[in-house]
Amino acid sequence: MKTIEVPALARVEGEGGLYIGLQDGKAVEIRLDIYEPPRFFEGFLHNRFIQEIPDITARICGICPVAYQMSSAFAIENALGVKISPDARALRRLMYCGEYIESHALHIYMLQAPDLFGKESAFELAAIAPDVVKNALRLKKIGNEILKAIGGRSVHPVNVCIGGFYSWPEAAPIRALLPDLEWGLQTAIDCVKWAMTLPYPELEIDYEFVALHHPDEYGVIEGEIWSSKGSKLSIADYEKGYIEEHVKRSNALHGRTIDGNTYLVGPLSRLNLNHEQLLPAAKKALKDSKLKLPLKNPYKSLIARAIELVQFYEEAIQLVKSYKPQGPAHVELKLKAGEGAGATEAPRGLLYHRYKIDENGFVQFAKITPPTAQNLPRIEADLLAMAPKIVKMPEAEATLTAEHLVRAYDPCISCATHFLKLKVEEVK
Amino acid sequence: MMIAVIGIGQSLRGDDAVGLEAVRQWQENYPDTAKRSDIKVDVSELPGLALLDLLDGMEAAILVDAVKCYSVPGTIHTLLPEQLAAFTSDTKSAHGWGVAETLQLARMLNPDRRTIPIQLIGIEAGQMEMGSGLSEKLKQALPRVCEAIQNEVQTLLAI
Repeated sequence: MKTIEVPALARVEGEGGLYIGLQDGKAVEIRLDIYEPPRFFEGFLHNRFIQEIPDITARICGICPVAYQMSSAFAIENALGVKISPDARALRRLMYCGEYIESHALHIYMLQAPDLFGKESAFELAAIAPDVVKNALRLKKIGNEILKAIGGRSVHPVNVCIGGFYSWPEAAPIRALLPDLEWGLQTAIDCVKWAMTLPYPELEIDYEFVALHHPDEYGVIEGEIWSSKGSKLSIADYEKGYIEEHVKRSNALHGRTIDGNTYLVGPLSRLNLNHEQLLPAAKKALKDSKLKLPLKNPYKSLIARAIELVQFYEEAIQLVKSYKPQGPAHVELKLKAGEGAGATEAPRGLLYHRYKIDENGFVQFAKITPPTAQNLPRIEADLLAMAPKIVKMPEAEATLTAEHLVRAYDPCISCATHFLKLKVEEVK
Repeated sequence: MMIAVIGIGQSLRGDDAVGLEAVRQWQENYPDTAKRSDIKVDVSELPGLALLDLLDGMEAAILVDAVKCYSVPGTIHTLLPEQLAAFTSDTKSAHGWGVAETLQLARMLNPDRRTIPIQLIGIEAGQMEMGSGLSEKLKQALPRVCEAIQNEVQTLLAI
């Protein structure tokens, strides 16, 4: 038989490497190397017409295309001074519900749960708990169906445009989602109960939590950028509070607060900062779980994702029931030179875009700050905290332990974490 | 028999777009076949586990994707799923689930269900760096890939 490498199997954007430097048996340096596709896209977007941008940025990630699409659309709309209609905004939130549902279902059950069960992969989990995996696939599929009903297809939806949507999707296929969504809501509530029974490693970190906050809804699109340390910034001022810096010996940019501190974006931050905005069923699921907030254990972000799964099924039901779009699907654009920022909450954390466009609507500058770049220094700091334990383990166990922590962050690195290569070296 | 014809790939990864392009061109070249009611055509970038949804209700499938098989770019390989190397890849991330792993998971979850015949048409890729557009060699191969898709469809229709 020939040896054949199919890119569908090997579609991993480079390799993730973890380096631990030891001095006298103690870890003194941690370096997590991860390749980030958004950097390529920033250059690729140059001189592209604004209406191309949501479709191109959607291709940065197969798991969170909506997040990239939304952050770019809002940023460019801000540059043009355009406000989308309330119906278009509601439909964008429904799309986001679809993305959260499919991304969280995938991560909870197929990605992190095998680690918690001590299983090598979802295959082993499927062997001992096929019904759990079947439920996971159904939960995930419903998320895809939402995207398909709105965006024309499930993986890279194509209906979003600058100004709203190209056209209103038909109501019948959207309403037809309701029975599945009702099932999904109940299953998500059960998922929270199940998540509370899983054996999480003990680790409490004093994070600075950062997330988008909106007073009237669970923060996903629009709002202010809040930090658990008290900072509140408008999206336009994001770069005044958060910077990216080049780190020696690493290609990836690392996010820091303006004061030089690490911070955390993602489900723990959202839940800790925005739990008061949860919808009733999600709020009840949180209350019934008896979780104490703020949740500081990175492994328990699985529970935060489960609560968000309830939130987004619940919200999807509301949005589907009220879907009656009126008026034009998009506002007419008047092109002008300008600059605008947009930030939305991707399932794995805050995703910030900024664009400069010329008077003809062509992009002259693009900046994309993905959640993983912001979390990278934090992941490294967590690994450093765990290093004394890790370095005493046999290599295979050490790699798995480190991988589990990295996976708990659900990094948006086009899936490189399972290629983690561990290198432990005595520093002289 | 319901047959799925699915192009897989990434449009911004050079030759990795060949599966998508080939299926689109096959639809244009063979509209009478592609529009039949028992044929379902999809192009999907990185479908991952959603491949199972695309195969739902199908009785046979043809998957068209780029491969790396150390031969001349543009070479067409017709493969069965069992022939994929790294079939039990140690991939633990569900993000990167590929065709082989996804099919394997489906078999594990539904061991009693009859597996449907799946034919893979793999096109040897040259460069798969970031950037749009197929290489010249792959563009030249497209008509042959379309013929290969048509042949496989005809074979399945004759069953």
